[in-house]
Amino acid sequence: MLHVNLVMIEFKNVSKKFGGTNSVLDNISFLIEKGSFVYLVGPTGSGKTTIFRLIIRDLFPTEGSITLDQWDLFTLPKSKIPHLRRKVGVVFQDLKLLLDRTVIENVMLPLQFSGVKDEEARRRAEEIIIDVGLAEKLNKFPLQLSGGEKQRVAMARALVFNPEIILADEPTGNLDIQTSFQILDLLKSINKRGATVFMATHNEKLIDSGGDRIIIVERGRIVEDKKARQKSARADHETGKKAKDEKEELKKDKIKLESLVEEKGKNVS
Amino acid sequence: MYLNTVAKYIRRSPYQAFSAALIMSLTFFSISVFALLTIISVRFISYFESRPQLTIFFKDNASREDIGQVQKQLEDTGKTSLMVYVSKEEALKIYKEQNKNDPILLDLVTADILPASIEVQAKEARYLSDLAGIVKGSELVEEVIFQKDIVDTLISWTNAVRYVGLAVIAILVTVSVMVIITIIGIKITVRREEIEIMKLIGASNWFIRAPFLLEGIFYGFTGAFIGGGLAIGLFYYFSPSLEAFLRGVAIFPLSPVIMLELLLVEVIIACILGTFASYLAVLRYLK
Repeated sequence: MLHVNLVMIEFKNVSKKFGGTNSVLDNISFLIEKGSFVYLVGPTGSGKTTIFRLIIRDLFPTEGSITLDQWDLFTLPKSKIPHLRRKVGVVFQDLKLLLDRTVIENVMLPLQFSGVKDEEARRRAEEIIIDVGLAEKLNKFPLQLSGGEKQRVAMARALVFNPEIILADEPTGNLDIQTSFQILDLLKSINKRGATVFMATHNEKLIDSGGDRIIIVERGRIVEDKKARQKSARADHETGKKAKDEKEELKKDKIKLESLVEEKGKNVS
Repeated sequence: MYLNTVAKYIRRSPYQAFSAALIMSLTFFSISVFALLTIISVRFISYFESRPQLTIFFKDNASREDIGQVQKQLEDTGKTSLMVYVSKEEALKIYKEQNKNDPILLDLVTADILPASIEVQAKEARYLSDLAGIVKGSELVEEVIFQKDIVDTLISWTNAVRYVGLAVIAILVTVSVMVIITIIGIKITVRREEIEIMKLIGASNWFIRAPFLLEGIFYGFTGAFIGGGLAIGLFYYFSPSLEAFLRGVAIFPLSPVIMLELLLVEVIIACILGTFASYLAVLRYLK
């Protein structure tokens, strides 16, 4: 039994039904410690996004209770919801960037919501944008960025106010493996600084690269809750990169060989 | 921060902003016109109220002594507070003063054709008809004019203008409010996704609502400033013509302070109206 002060998220017998009958989550319970890195794994439609939406009170559970760092989300008054959301950094599956605002304006938003002065908000947003490697893109609009860059902007927006908890819903979806590892590295470095990271993914390579725990959901139920295999993301990233390089080398050798054979054939004839 | 957002919202849909500002300008132009008419009519009426309440014009054959007897007769009733005799010569003097800029009129008139008169102030308004009754039967009297009749006619006219004005203003105010509600409503609907995102990442209701409320205030302010300013400007421009038309009636000049006060009050009302309309839109579309 964990001490209550060590618990960041607690779901107790939570069910969520839409339209009274369509059950998306069915009596799930779990607990996430502060400072941990937990993967939420499951196929599309298993309820991962619903869990995240419940945590930020975008949805209300049909049954059960949810606690976020001692805030009882069941009894939380509506007026307090913005405060709750300013505590949680969320990377949405569909990113939810404001397309008519530049990178820096998008990243500044959570600070402005908290009443940080524009100048200070701009300074802090610039810092985090540089951290995620987008120093050159400060004044670009989301539509002028690549998929990976947009993902980084979403990440920067979630991190800019140093939240104690990060919810990342498929933050590497549709990204190539190299960029996915870069995003994961970023999340891990934030986790090392003490933030709790709760990340939904179905990318097994990422899961294998380390983390504290894996919660597997299927059809709205937790089917497994286990310790993650400890391995550094960087190591896996490097292994992946090495394999890719080797593959490229092989491809070049093959082309060289084929041209030699072709040349030899010409000489024989 | 909010002002930048408002400026951005307005820049992105300039035609909507123009329509809102235009209808507000039209509303406050009408309000200004009716306010100025009211100021003029109040002055007009008080001018006539301050005039003698009863004017008795005498026939040409009435001598000064005859008129003196009538004056004594009225005085004996104890119902008069003031009586002033205006001789034919004095009447001509007044006429000349009133028409000093029109030499043709001055040439045509001599003291002979102007009647002598006495101007009577009664101690109480209810004595006026008694006083008039005394002199009406007299062979020496040409005509008895009650200022009260003039004032009553003026009041009924100005009341009619006021009612029409109020009705027009009520309609325009309603239309303005509806236009602002619709325009802000459209803007909220267009930005629904953006608003949802902002809410999800921690924006308070106030943060989301404030730019829309400020936009309503902006339309009110702009409308009152343009509409009110235009009406006041036109009023000053046409003042000389009005003054010539209402010669002898002391209405002008109207102090610029009154105008500034009028504009200030209109701007305040317009800002309240703009806030009210945008607040209704926010309540309706941003649940």
